[in-house]
Parts: sequence; C-alpha cells; structure tokens
Amino acid sequence: MSTYLQFAVIKFRNKMAYRFDYLLGILNTLLSFVVYWSIYKALYGGASEVDGVTFSMVTTNFIISLGLSSAFHKNEMFLQDKIKQGTIANELLKPVNFKLRMLFEDVGEGAFNVAFNFLPTVVIAAFFANLSAPSSILNVLLCLVSVVLGYIVLWQISFIVQSWAFWLFNVWGLITIKNVFVNILAGAYIPMWFMPEWLRNVIQFTPFDSIYFTPVQLYLGELQGWEILINFARQLLWIVILYVIGEFCWRRGIKKLVVQGG
Amino acid sequence: METIINVNNLCKTFKIHKRGTGFKGAVKNIFHPTYEYKKAVNEVSFSIKEGEMVGFIGPNGAGKSTTVKMLSGILYPDSGDITVAGYIPHKQRKEYVANIGVVFGQKSQISWDLSPLDSYEVIKHIYKIPDKKYKENLERFSELLDMGKFINQPVRQLSLGQRMRADIAAALLHSPKIVFFDEPTIGIDVVGKDKIRKFIKTLNQTDNITMIFTTHDMQDIEKTCERLIIIDDGKKLYDGSLENVKKGYVSSRIIEAEFESLPITLDLPHTEITDVENNAMKKLISFNTDEVSVNELMTALMSTHNIKDVSIREPEIDAIIRDIYEGKIVMN
Amino acid sequence: MKDIISLFFAYARTGLKTRFQYKLDSVISTFAVFFREAAGIIAMYLALLKFDTINNWNIDELLFLFSLIFITYGIFIVFFMALRDFSDWIKHGVFDRVMLRPRGLLTQLVLCGADWLAAFGHGTLGIILFIISANRVGIEWNFGMAVYYIVVVISGVLIQGAVFLFFSAISFYVVETNSLKEIFYWNMRKFAIYPLSIYNKFIQSILIFVVPFAFVNYFPAQFFLRKADMAAYPEWMMYISPIVGVGLYALAYAFWRFSLRYYKSAGN
Repeated sequence: MSTYLQFAVIKFRNKMAYRFDYLLGILNTLLSFVVYWSIYKALYGGASEVDGVTFSMVTTNFIISLGLSSAFHKNEMFLQDKIKQGTIANELLKPVNFKLRMLFEDVGEGAFNVAFNFLPTVVIAAFFANLSAPSSILNVLLCLVSVVLGYIVLWQISFIVQSWAFWLFNVWGLITIKNVFVNILAGAYIPMWFMPEWLRNVIQFTPFDSIYFTPVQLYLGELQGWEILINFARQLLWIVILYVIGEFCWRRGIKKLVVQGG
Repeated sequence: METIINVNNLCKTFKIHKRGTGFKGAVKNIFHPTYEYKKAVNEVSFSIKEGEMVGFIGPNGAGKSTTVKMLSGILYPDSGDITVAGYIPHKQRKEYVANIGVVFGQKSQISWDLSPLDSYEVIKHIYKIPDKKYKENLERFSELLDMGKFINQPVRQLSLGQRMRADIAAALLHSPKIVFFDEPTIGIDVVGKDKIRKFIKTLNQTDNITMIFTTHDMQDIEKTCERLIIIDDGKKLYDGSLENVKKGYVSSRIIEAEFESLPITLDLPHTEITDVENNAMKKLISFNTDEVSVNELMTALMSTHNIKDVSIREPEIDAIIRDIYEGKIVMN
Repeated sequence: MKDIISLFFAYARTGLKTRFQYKLDSVISTFAVFFREAAGIIAMYLALLKFDTINNWNIDELLFLFSLIFITYGIFIVFFMALRDFSDWIKHGVFDRVMLRPRGLLTQLVLCGADWLAAFGHGTLGIILFIISANRVGIEWNFGMAVYYIVVVISGVLIQGAVFLFFSAISFYVVETNSLKEIFYWNMRKFAIYPLSIYNKFIQSILIFVVPFAFVNYFPAQFFLRKADMAAYPEWMMYISPIVGVGLYALAYAFWRFSLRYYKSAGN
C-alpha cells in the first residue's frame, strides 16, 4: 500500500513542479474567452437581447464551449507516435484493451482539466462577465451528464481521425482540419443561435451540436420535457454510430499492421 | 612544430537549479530558488602542436565536452585564456570557426531527409568554398570514406556507420586546420569503427591536420592517438604519451564468469572477486596479467567450480583513472 | 549581399526538397494551415451576417485589418521561423552547429529557418483577403499609399520578429519558453484580429505598450480607413509603426547580444 501512496506523492510533486505552466493554462483559457466576450460585447453594443438571445446567454455559451474545448484539448498524435515508433505491436500484446486504455487516460486528463482548469476559469470569469445562473439544480445535473456524453462524441471523432495514421504518413494536417470543423460547427467560435438558418439545418444532421451546444441548452434551461430526452437520445445515437465507424477503422488498421508486420 | 592550441588556467562553472523536495520544497522553488555551483572545468592548462593528434578522455561529466565546446567557441569560459590558431575562439567566433571542423557523434550536421550531397552543397555556400577545392575534397573524401554507394541516398536510409562517415566528410570539406571529434564511433559496429579510425589516422598523417578526439572507447585512442589527456572531475589528471598509460592498463583484466553452483571461492593470490548486482551466480574477477596469467586463473577456477559462461572485459577508462590516483601510472 | 542571397537560395532549395519528400503530406499540411487560419475569418463572417458591423467596422474593413496579420505573418515565417522555434534548436543542439559556422548567428537563423509551405498557407490567405477587401473599403490608392503599405508590412514583420528575438534571448537563461509564447504572442494575436477599440483599457494598453500588435495591423489600417474609433488615440500613432518596428527590433537585438554569453549548450 505504501508503494502506491508513494506513486501518488510523486505524481503530486510532479504536478507542483509544473505549477507555473498550470497557472498559465488557466490564463490561456481565460484570454480565449475574453477575446470572444469582448467581440460580442461590441456586437451587442448595449442591446439587451438579439433575436431573443441575451448577452449573458452568449457569454455562458462561450465559457462552456470554449472552456470545455480547451479543457478537452489533448495530444492527438498519440496513436501516430505509437505506430511510428513501432511500439503499437507491444501495446497490443498486453492484456489490456488498448482503445479503452486510451479513452480512460484521456478521460482522466479531461476530468482533471475540467476540475482544475475549467472551473477556476469560470469562477474568475464570473467576476467580470455576468454569466447566466443555472436555471435549476436538475438542469445542472443534466448538463453534467450531457457534458460526459458530449466528451465521448468528441473523443470518438478524434479517434477515427487518429486511426488513419495506419494508412497515412502524418495525420497532423487532417487532425487540424477536423478541429476547425469541430470548433466552428460545435459553436465554440460562434453561438449556434446566430448561425445562418441553412447552416443550422445542416448541423442538425451532424454530431457536432451534441458536443457543447446540448450541455449549454440544458444549463440554460432551453430544453423542456421531451426535448431533453430527444437530445440525450441524439448524443447516444451519435456515440453508437461513431463507435461503429471507429471500430471499423481500428480493426482494418490492426489488420494492415499484422499483414505488413508493423 | 609550432604550437597551435594554447590553453591556460581554463575554468567554467555551471549554475544548477537545485530543486527542493516535498511540498514545502516545491513552494520554496517558486519564490526562492536555490542554486548549486558545479565546476565543470577547473584550472585546466595544456598546449597542442600543429599536426598532433590528441585523445581527450574521461568519465561522463568529467568536463571534456565542456572543454571542447570552449575550444570550439560555443561556450564562454569564466576565466583563463584560450588561443587556437591565433584566434580567441569565443571573441572571434566568426573568423575562427572557418579554420576548424567539428564532428559530433550524436548530433549529425547533415539533414535526415536529404542526401549527403544535398547537405554538402549548402555547406559549400556557408563556408564559401571555391568550386575547385570543393570538387577536389569531395572526390577525395568520397573515395577514402567509400561513400560512392550512398552519397545520393537520403540520410534516413543509411546505416549509422555510413551516416558517420558522411558527417566526417561534411566537417572536412572546407579543409580545416583543426578538427574536433566528439565520440565519433559511438554506437557503430566494429568494422565501421575501424574504417573511421583508419581514415582519421591517414588524414592526420597526410594533411597534417591537428586533431582532438574525445571518446569513451579506449580502442579509439589506441588505434589513433599518441598523446593522451585525461580529465576527471574538471581537472587535468594526466597529460602524456599513450605508451605510458598502456603499460598499466594493458595488463589489467576483468573476467566475468557465471557459475553453476555456490559457494564461489578462489584461492589465488593477486586476484579479487567482486559481486554482480542481482545475480549471485555471477562474479567479476579482476587480476593483472603481469602477476597471474589467464591460463593459471582459468585452471584454478575450473578445477574447483563448474562454469556456465565466461567473458573477458576490456579495461575501462575508470580503471585507468583509478590506477593514476593510486600512483600506478605516472605522468611523464 | 549577393553572397547572402545565394546562401538564402541554397537553404530554400534544400528546405523545399525536404518538404517535397512527402508530397501528399505537404499538400495536406499546407491546406490545414490555410484552413485553420481561415476558421477565424469564417467565425467573423458568420457573426457579421447577423450583426452587420462591429464598432462601426464592416466586414470588408475587418478583412482588411485581418489581412495585415496574415501577410506579415506569412513573411515572418520565411525569416523568423528559427527564432520562433528557438528553444527546440537549443534543446536539440542545433544552435551549437550554427555557432560552429563562419557566418553571423542571426544571419544564419534568419536565412535558414523558412517554413515555405506554412508561409504559402498564411501568405495566400492574406493576399486573398487583401485583394477582396482593398477595393471595397474605399481606399484611393496612390503611389504614396502603396509605399506606406509596404513600409507597414515590413514594420509588422519586424515587430513580430522582435518579439520572438526577445523570447529567443530568454531561452539562453531558461530553455523552456513555450508558455511565454502562448501568453504573449499567440493570445495577443487572437486579440489583434479585431479592432483594438472593442477591448477594455487594460488589454488595449498591453497591445500598444507591451506586445505592440496594435502597430502591426490596427493603427496602420486606421491610416488607410480613418474609422471614427481612432478618435480615442493620438493621431500620430497611425504613423509610428516603422519606428516601433525598428526600435523594438534594435532593443531585442541588443538584449540578444548581451544574453548570448549565457548560452549553456545542451547536455551540460
């Protein structure tokens, strides 16, 4: 037992050693938020609402979507590095499901960032940016559940693109392009409410709005009764669809690796 | 011959950030960092004549690579004087480095994705090497180093030995007067090492290039140099002929033996048994061939024990340094 | 000079040759850079569809403001790429090699680092934006205007080069400078995309006095556009970009020269 405790102590010390980086991480998230907050403050120009959307709703949308997208940021070259270094073969021999392990490591990191990067940012932002108060405790809980589901959607999209490393020399470019799609279409750079009608209609048929926008709507209490269930169902449906695609790519990739001997 | 390198009381100290331990230490680090000072090079003096080939050896962290970096103008010395080929390296860097070539065994200067020839073209521009000289040198080195087969291939496809040869040629294209080799044979197979050593030796003799050679590998020195400078803990420990050192180390040997059963004892004078970590069946036996012959030792061992495996280790630099401290090797 | 140019082309040739070892990857990466940078424009465009103007700047004027960032950055990475990634150069011992060559240190760093594909990605985007917007914002181009435009582009490149020259000099003392770059360059650049006047006073002062991005695009753009929000700043600020660029670069250069002697080669 004392050995494991030792691990925890070492880990803690390591985190302390990077405290400076950690504080700068919060500052980074905060600055990204301040940019968009300032832009929309200027765009609103003192108007109380635009199309029924108040400024504090916009602010809340940005802190959730930008804040989470920064907290969920991770090393997406992980799989490619494993393949390039040739260590993937050893990893597969271990009696651990590699994909699951990858997911849990990322979840661990994401959870840490939400608690120690996202929440402090929200607290600091609350001092100057009049965020909307949650509509009810229940809505906060529903929001949390949908954040987790949204994270899994996001993770699976990332995994699919990462798995193309089996075929491509370098997936950096594709990952970058994917992130542009995610950040714009999921509403991290522009609130979903202000998207042109046609674009919103398109987005409806993609997984992107279930990443950040569903949590935002739940937090603000914009969804009622059946709508809540439908939105959760959409998140789950996308998780299943993306899982199937991801599994397909992954298995084909492994097969290629085995045939060519890594 | 004229003196080309002159080093006088050279010193270099590094400031090392000392990290506190535990939570308190980590906090203290941020507000009140503490430092430790390490004398990497401590009052080192020597001089080298034109055309000499000097081996620079010492254990890891002894200060030899810091010395070479000061000699080549990369690092500022804290105090002391350096003059190389009439220049003060760190003060006249730009003019000075045109006269030297440096080969780092672990850091290639040719591009991974390009062929050696592509990299040479850039080097030609950087050093402003005249066409005629460039062509002559390229042809000559390509032949001596047997690079014809791979000079047009991307470096990433070359073996370590081939890459090293290409790197050595790169450092020589501008016909430097002095060449520094920093661990040029590290990680290379025996045949490859031999090719490199032979080339270096030949070049030293035919072109009268002054060469400084840092290495871990005593064989490197033995095959190339006549003079040896040993550095330990920032200080010059020995400066003299290789012959003198050789007498001591050539006769000291270590045998590594794995036995089939315990206990392991050896009743033979002038031998010493030491344990090997994590393996009770393995022992190191050190002895001196002047006092005990390999034959005698093996007979003694095999008459009393069943031996599973045995190998003879090359004498290491550490052993030589120990001998110097113990007065077995004297500077001449 | 002729010699410097020939060295520049020797580096450029090998640089491009390296990149074209992996043709498909180069094409995808260039496109990715282009697309990533265009994301900010897309977000801006979509927002302006709804709101028409921000602080009285319409979409064309904003694109003109934006184009200066891309054009200067596109040129910046041709010349200052090595300084941008300087801590990696130190860590991997590449700077040792630079010191061993009989050329000026900055000469080598400036000439050899170019990332041509990224430069192409940024530069093309900048030029496209400039072409789209320059006509529509109602500038009456004449010779003087054109010259001043070129001058402010060069100044913008110098300002950003100076910022990274500072970071590089800091790398001689503490090798890891990524967090500093993140805060003082990349985040400031995000701010600079929109008109300075939309931010609060504190952020404005940082963009004017600390990391003077305001002189890369906002004040130069004001010279050409003369928007009403310029009233909040002294008028001469529209004219001093070249002074800021040269001054800052000289300051950064002096600091770099001074710091060089503290260089600790990697592995010590």
